Amino acid sequence: MGEAAPLTPAPAVRVQGFGKRYRRQAAVAGVDLEVRRGEIYGLIGPDGAGKSSLMKAVAGVLAFEEGSIEMFGIRIDSEAAAERVKGRLGFMPQGLGLNLYPELSVEENIDFFARLRGVPAAEIAARKAKLLAMTRLDRFTGRPMKHLSGGMKQKLGLVCTLIHEPELIVLDEPTTGVDPVSRRDFWAILAELLREKGITALISTAYMDEAERFHRLSLMHGGRVLASGEPDAIRARTPGSVLELEAEPQVEALDRIQASLAQAESVGPRLRVFVDDAAPEAAVGTVAGLLKGLSLRDLHATTPDLEDAFVALLRRQRLVEERAVAKPRAGDGDPPGDDVAILAKDLTRDFDGFRAVDRASFTVHQGDIFGLVGANGAGKTTLIKMLTGILPPSDGEGRVAGADMHFAAQAIKARIGYTSQAFSLYQDLSVLENLRLYARIYGVARHAAGERIEQVAELTGLTGRERQLAGRLPLGIRQRLALACAMVHRPRILFLDEPTSGVDPIGRRRFWDILVHLARVEQVAILITTHYMSEAEHCDRLALMHAGRIVADDPPAALKQALREEAGELLEVATDRPLAAMALLEQAGFAGVALFGRHIHLFARDAHTATREIQTILAGRGIGLASVTPRPPSLEDVFVYRITALEQGEQRL
Amino acid sequence: MNSRLTLWWSRLAAMTVKELLQLFRDGFLMFAIVFLFTADIYMTRNVRLELNHATVVVHDADHSAASRELIYRFRPPYFQLGGEIQDSREGQALLDQGQALAVLDIPPYFQRDLQSGRPTDVQVLVDTSNTVLGTLAASYSGQIIGRYGFEAALARMGASEASLDTVPMIQDQHRVWYNPNQNDAWFIPISELLTVITVMAIMLPAAAAVREKERGTIEQLLVSPLTPALILLPKVISMTLVILAGTAISLFLVLVPVFGVPIKGSLPLFFAVTTLYTVATSGLGLYIATLSRNLAQAAMLAIFILMPMVFLSGAWTPPEAMPAGLREAMYLSPLYYFIEMGYGILLKGAGLDVLWDSLLGLTLLGVGIFGFGVRRFRRQFG
Repeated sequence: MGEAAPLTPAPAVRVQGFGKRYRRQAAVAGVDLEVRRGEIYGLIGPDGAGKSSLMKAVAGVLAFEEGSIEMFGIRIDSEAAAERVKGRLGFMPQGLGLNLYPELSVEENIDFFARLRGVPAAEIAARKAKLLAMTRLDRFTGRPMKHLSGGMKQKLGLVCTLIHEPELIVLDEPTTGVDPVSRRDFWAILAELLREKGITALISTAYMDEAERFHRLSLMHGGRVLASGEPDAIRARTPGSVLELEAEPQVEALDRIQASLAQAESVGPRLRVFVDDAAPEAAVGTVAGLLKGLSLRDLHATTPDLEDAFVALLRRQRLVEERAVAKPRAGDGDPPGDDVAILAKDLTRDFDGFRAVDRASFTVHQGDIFGLVGANGAGKTTLIKMLTGILPPSDGEGRVAGADMHFAAQAIKARIGYTSQAFSLYQDLSVLENLRLYARIYGVARHAAGERIEQVAELTGLTGRERQLAGRLPLGIRQRLALACAMVHRPRILFLDEPTSGVDPIGRRRFWDILVHLARVEQVAILITTHYMSEAEHCDRLALMHAGRIVADDPPAALKQALREEAGELLEVATDRPLAAMALLEQAGFAGVALFGRHIHLFARDAHTATREIQTILAGRGIGLASVTPRPPSLEDVFVYRITALEQGEQRL
Repeated sequence: MNSRLTLWWSRLAAMTVKELLQLFRDGFLMFAIVFLFTADIYMTRNVRLELNHATVVVHDADHSAASRELIYRFRPPYFQLGGEIQDSREGQALLDQGQALAVLDIPPYFQRDLQSGRPTDVQVLVDTSNTVLGTLAASYSGQIIGRYGFEAALARMGASEASLDTVPMIQDQHRVWYNPNQNDAWFIPISELLTVITVMAIMLPAAAAVREKERGTIEQLLVSPLTPALILLPKVISMTLVILAGTAISLFLVLVPVFGVPIKGSLPLFFAVTTLYTVATSGLGLYIATLSRNLAQAAMLAIFILMPMVFLSGAWTPPEAMPAGLREAMYLSPLYYFIEMGYGILLKGAGLDVLWDSLLGLTLLGVGIFGFGVRRFRRQFG
């Protein structure tokens, strides 16, 4: 199979004017797209963008009203037509392992799907062995599916989808809820499988930073396609420059910029600004002008990423909800008390001989945003349960909001605010009823409650929605309601467990605006967990958890610096045959070789020598090399590098 | 201390109001509650535990005045004639198909034998697959035929019915108490109401608690300063209020006006007992909630608990009809005491002087059940 897919007359999928309604609500409207044979095509968008409806329709499991879908040149307009292409198609629905049978073992699940798909008995064993080896599930064939980790479930789902060797696979958010290491692993396996079998893939994701994995993609929002094409082409649709800078005081700087530029946010200690239609130099001038009189550091232009483009596209198409988030006035809230908000010392928790958290120690100060990242099962939830007073530690000490974890769990609960992973407010109560309920649960005095509720509603941009039922709110606004309920009693510390899962980038930005103001102005300490590595950049400090231990605890910049010192420079290699090149570079011993769409990422001690080495290797096999460019490492690179190193260390033991 | 108590009450009130709001917004549940407390009980209006136009088919091999006379004594409201058949095999078939409840078989020469004083038989085949109806049909037809034979004997002796008064006989004079007309229409709807109260007392708190688990809202409550008691008590309180309201509606809009049930005893006592019973039984609902992950599981478990509870309560089968062993087991069904007291108060006008032992039984059992439910709940959510 060549990498430049042979030109075939009919594309794998052609969607024209597609529309789908649920009752009278249009979920998707006017979607056109074309997936060429052999490519990985992405659908990127937040929850509710219409991705799942489109994917289900393509997979032939959802009837639709408008437009047409063609697969391999066959128009899917009837049950019979859908039946005809089903054998050439594999579909993995959304949700971790939802299409699998929890009680069945890995092998039984695969056998079931093989027989269901009528795979000849003689071939089952060989295919199974191959797929199991590639996904490294071969050690777990006897394990019931329900005891697999999230990443392993997704790999098993992929195996079951591929067992009948389809020509096209449709994967609905295969990486949602999966940690970055497993996610990268999943992409690598997928790339290899697709290369070997020449399969075409249509994949959806809510993670903007996965865009680079696709050859081409469509950005979706609110049931419409905002833009389609190669990642670079989509970025080019929104001309402008992205600037990063540090300014003191940060809040005032952000206020000033936001007064005249719509797309600006704070990212940890830095600010990130998108200046429309401006060359980098002009943009720098504009921003410097706005911030006259403040102390500026490190003002520079950087490459816009897809999320910048997405937000800019939404702005240009006027799909952004008016900016309603008010700023808290300085002096709101209690004056900062003792500076340390959370102190954990050797916190340990055992469950029946299994150590979920192993000697975790860290400190969070008032006004800090402290991020906690790690794979599912790394111990984050248990750690948060201990810190919030739900679970007593087996060993070690901790003080939260001045109260000792061993003796004053109830006092801790009264002094903190918490939002859980899933939206856990009452959907059948209105915004105001939810706020009132939590005000009374937390003992906010009756005479003060009304004013405080108004205040948090204004701060979180809920004013005007007080009478709406929580269940009817869009996801992003719901999460702000959860935040409002968590802070109605003016807690000194907020615990936020994946608060922005599935929320669109604009909703996430707004959410972070509020968090930053809470931390900077009200000096609230915030402990947050997230799977979005781009979001982790916002944190002042980031603790990385693995197997119950905290394996790194530093500001994001320091983590990246440490990565540079340990692993070297991150290089992006652009070639005309990335898959073949990747295999060669791995053989040559480069670290962290990973495929991102048409580009290869790898680490090198010295960029110059490495570039020459790469040129030699690729030239030797006649592979064209377009460029080798150094790139700033992302936090995902840090995460994956650290965890992979630890896992390899464990395997050696 | 005082402010802590105020805070406790304020939290309790806030949570109770929340439970009620949620319940009122749940259209399906509200419909179920209103339906069960009104329409469901109203529908028992035509349910009788007596013969009601039971079909009798006749094989008359005599075709005489005497046989006709006997046949026409099988009259409404208890019986109705389902026509004549040609042979007894046909009667067997009708019984098998359930198209007749009884077959009356009159032999040839019935009139001749009767008039000549020779003994003669008639055969009645009764379908007793429904024991109550079957037994009633057998007993009623026995009475009808016996009476006919008695009268025929008198007639042959030349005596009239009036002269019977001179014959020495035992007169059976029974007085029926509490329900002098033996009106089934009182017994069944009350029984139904008490059963509905039971279903609600188990299901409503279970549903309220499981819903919190299902939607993940319990997590948010556990991180708040609420104690487990402040999470579960509001559910019990609010659901008890709803059940009391439902009971009042059922009593004053259905039982009294439609069925004419007399309320002979003290209403406050009845509602006090209902409250005690509801709170006690809600312990089972809370226990179910700790076992199940979603509403469907909770409903299955509720049925699992409800069936023996109703079976052992005397709601449908009186204790006197229970075999030894099961009869003792009835003391474990809280519904048994509730039914004792419910009938006692509503129909007999009984007060605490009579019902104290049932009240004591319910209280002891209730403390046990509720305590158990609360313990399980606290262990899971504490």
